[in-house]
Amino acid sequence: MSGTKRGSRNLLEDVLKAGLCTGCGACVTGCPYMAIHEGRIVVLDRCTIEDGDCWRHCPRTPTDVSGFSEKTQGVPFDFLEPGAIIAVEMVRSVDAAVREKGQDGGVVTALLAFALDEGMIDSVVCSKKDAGGAPHGFVARTARELLECAGSSYEAAFTLEAFRKIPAGNADRLAVVGVGCQMEALAKMKAAAPVNGGNPQNVQLTVGLFCGWALRSDIFRPLLEEICDTSRIVKFDIPHSPGTSFDVYTKDAGKISIPLDDIRPAINPACQYCWDMTAEFADISAGSAGSSFHGWNTVITRTPRGAGLMKRAVAAGIIEIQPLPESRMTKLKASALNRKKNALRNLARKSGTREDLGYISGLPAGLVDALLKD
Amino acid sequence: MASVIAADNPGAAVLLMGNEAVARGAIEAGIGVASAYPGSPTSEILPAIADVSGERDIYVEWSTNEKVALEVAAASSFAGIRSLAVMKQNGLNVALDFLVNLNMTGIGEGGMVVFVSDDPGAMTSGNEQDSRMAAKWFDNPLLEPENAHEAKEMVAWAFEFSESVNLPVIVRGVTRLCYTRGNVVLGDLPAGMRKKARFSDVWDMYNPTKSKFTATPSPVAHRLLHEKFEKAREILENAPFNRYSGPDNPELLIIATGVSAAYSAEAVDVLHLKERVGLLKMGALWPLPKKTILQWLSRTKNVLFVEEMDAFMEGSVMELWAGAGLHDGGIRFHGKCSGHFPPCNEQGADLVIKALTDILKIEHQLIDADYKREAAEYMRLVPNRPINMCAGCPHRATYWAIKNAIALDGRNGFVCGDIGCYAMGFGPPGFFQARTMHAMGSGTGVANGFGHLGRFGFDQPVIALSGDSTFYHAALPALVNAVYNRSNFTLLILDNGATAMTGFQPHPGTGVLATGEPAPVVDMEALCRATGAEVMVCDPFNLTETTQAILTMMKKNAGVRVIIMRHLCQLVKVKRKIAPRYSMRVEPEKCIGESCGCDRLCTRVFGCPGLMWDSRAGKAMIDEAICVGCGLCADVCPAGAIRKEEVH
Repeated sequence: MSGTKRGSRNLLEDVLKAGLCTGCGACVTGCPYMAIHEGRIVVLDRCTIEDGDCWRHCPRTPTDVSGFSEKTQGVPFDFLEPGAIIAVEMVRSVDAAVREKGQDGGVVTALLAFALDEGMIDSVVCSKKDAGGAPHGFVARTARELLECAGSSYEAAFTLEAFRKIPAGNADRLAVVGVGCQMEALAKMKAAAPVNGGNPQNVQLTVGLFCGWALRSDIFRPLLEEICDTSRIVKFDIPHSPGTSFDVYTKDAGKISIPLDDIRPAINPACQYCWDMTAEFADISAGSAGSSFHGWNTVITRTPRGAGLMKRAVAAGIIEIQPLPESRMTKLKASALNRKKNALRNLARKSGTREDLGYISGLPAGLVDALLKD
Repeated sequence: MASVIAADNPGAAVLLMGNEAVARGAIEAGIGVASAYPGSPTSEILPAIADVSGERDIYVEWSTNEKVALEVAAASSFAGIRSLAVMKQNGLNVALDFLVNLNMTGIGEGGMVVFVSDDPGAMTSGNEQDSRMAAKWFDNPLLEPENAHEAKEMVAWAFEFSESVNLPVIVRGVTRLCYTRGNVVLGDLPAGMRKKARFSDVWDMYNPTKSKFTATPSPVAHRLLHEKFEKAREILENAPFNRYSGPDNPELLIIATGVSAAYSAEAVDVLHLKERVGLLKMGALWPLPKKTILQWLSRTKNVLFVEEMDAFMEGSVMELWAGAGLHDGGIRFHGKCSGHFPPCNEQGADLVIKALTDILKIEHQLIDADYKREAAEYMRLVPNRPINMCAGCPHRATYWAIKNAIALDGRNGFVCGDIGCYAMGFGPPGFFQARTMHAMGSGTGVANGFGHLGRFGFDQPVIALSGDSTFYHAALPALVNAVYNRSNFTLLILDNGATAMTGFQPHPGTGVLATGEPAPVVDMEALCRATGAEVMVCDPFNLTETTQAILTMMKKNAGVRVIIMRHLCQLVKVKRKIAPRYSMRVEPEKCIGESCGCDRLCTRVFGCPGLMWDSRAGKAMIDEAICVGCGLCADVCPAGAIRKEEVH
């Protein structure tokens, strides 16, 4: 774990202005000087605290990644693997309605609704789209609320800001859904609980989402507004085939396909420094990322806690499973490793030296050189 | 109780503030009309007259601005009724365009006095200025009183003077005169019927070119003005306000004007210099009474000028001396030219003492060491109290919303500030948001200009501020200009229902006259809509909605958008006995104070004086003596520690 102590001014200079902010929402939790506005983190005023949670919890301040792996996953960190793995399978919700609402197999929604139902957790920290379709951190307490949150927004969702909506002292057992950077931030929050607001110690379950990149609302939203009434959008998808279109499903006009290349300018540049495609610090990670078949999710079960939930959900008939073909597994591993190489390369380019990989620390000596040699 | 201002008790000595003495002087002179725009240090004059306007049959009004005030007064004089117009130094600048033409035409048969006060030290102003300079550059008579009694005498005398030269007469005060109380010996009040007002200079078909009150043709009028000016000079040579005291041939002659004469007399007294130093106290300054001055110059080799603000007499007397060919007499002049007085800030007896000791080589310990030490000790007991807006002030709410809206918007937006309590927005009370601040209405005017710079790549949102009274005073023409010329900015009109900074005077939007009588409301919202601007109204105490409204308006980025921030001034609420809305308390166990997640947001940043920081407990507290229960801090507290409960 990093020992640096800094405050919001450093966060502003070294993360926000440096183009590293992924929009995880952690810094906003319990801070009156930070706000989220139109897809950006805004520093509203000068805070004089030099040892702040904003810096401590940010996934883009120095992070000892292998230290976290030990802590959250209970296994040593292997940078070459896509995190701790108990099983990798193809999974989908048995309920077709959940599949329809969710992304691909609807596994995340199904699993969390089941966890709520069976009493493993009391509420879920996730993200929900507002009337205009922009995602915000949200605390879902029922399966119905959860279903309203289903489906990928493709935007930075600031999910962790939702911790501030949970009153201090609230004892609800929580699940958190998020992408890799959010799982990193959450791990940091658990390691050093926020002074004010939020109760990450109550998190009983983390569900990671595979993430290729997130879109910047300030560019993506106007783009959407040009093609449709954003309040009528039902769902986004990047279909595996042909893999070059971004599909917008609306209530009125059905599917509108946009060439993926038109969307790319809206990708948050901070995502190029992200090493974690499969949300390695979660109990269970789910996604598709080119490894799945249509209508199915690829699910990585990472921890015994995650495995237990999977087992109970299968037994209860909530989800169904089939093995992931070897070729898909190879592809998944290659994509995950490729992401790490790209992140390291981009970080080294940003700093001008492989010695300085920005926020990433704790990698074994020689590994970086080995990864970047080609 | 009848006001002492109109007490019919000639010969009685009463304690009056300088401003009240000015009012009494005008009443003794039998004015029929008094008009003003509020501006410290002159704000108390009109209300003093308004208090007795019924019994003395005087028309009083708060005008929308000083130029209008002057015009209103002038019309009365044109019709033969004496009039008084009152303004502070900045107001004179607003009124000047009328004044420089008024002295061309003359004022008719009703004497006219313009009381203008400067503010040395800028205690209640944005600028320091010497208004006497105006008298010099556009040729207008000017008097300057030393104390309250003389102010009363001088104002009354000025009306006769005005009538005898057919010119408006400026009486110049300074803050120290206006706000100092002194003994005033009352004179007679006018008795009998007031004469009928009549404008006599109507069209005469047999002599149609004859016209008194049109300032053309100007070369002729200008020549006539100078003729009148020479007559005025003759009168001032014998005016009762220029007095000499001291030896016949003083080693050093002090020429002091207005309150500076009192400082000088004190200095001469303290240094026991009555046998060596002469004091020419001058109250009738302009046109310069040359004979009087030359007479005293011829009796000395050293002259020290003492006057507030600029080297007005200093320069004029030196000019006179050089022009009179007396320079071979070898007088040494001291004052601002010699560095004995600074060119700015308020003067005082100490500075005169220092100048005298230096020029006359006298040893004098101005302040002894014990006094200095004691004073320093007492200073430590004085709490540091920076300027601030009142507890419950709606401007704090507005600035909070502005600050957050500008930050959220993220395009380096900024505020063009204006004159009023909210001018404090350049500092901590307004979170340093006001980035420009000049004259009345200039926030809107300057924003006009920024709004056209888009063609040069300017892409920052601009917010102009205007108070409600300021809006009627000078922001309205700027708003009209903005809409007409298709500028691009958001104007926030801070409508707190009063001209608050100068003492809650009513204005055209309040529905009340200077006398307290009801008046038609000039609907600010309708006025703004009529310009074609997009208009909305917010209560700034709804912080979230207000912030959102500002953000939305900023974002539109085209045309002129107006948000009227409507919430009554807290002090007006107190005056109207409007009870506090909430009772406030801090739950100490919830207050997270200096820790992460707060960092004393309420007392360090928000800064309402109704909040206190208990440094020992590390908790915020409500200062019961100051808190007015507005409830705003409860909405700002990030920990929910500040609680508000509705008071029933």
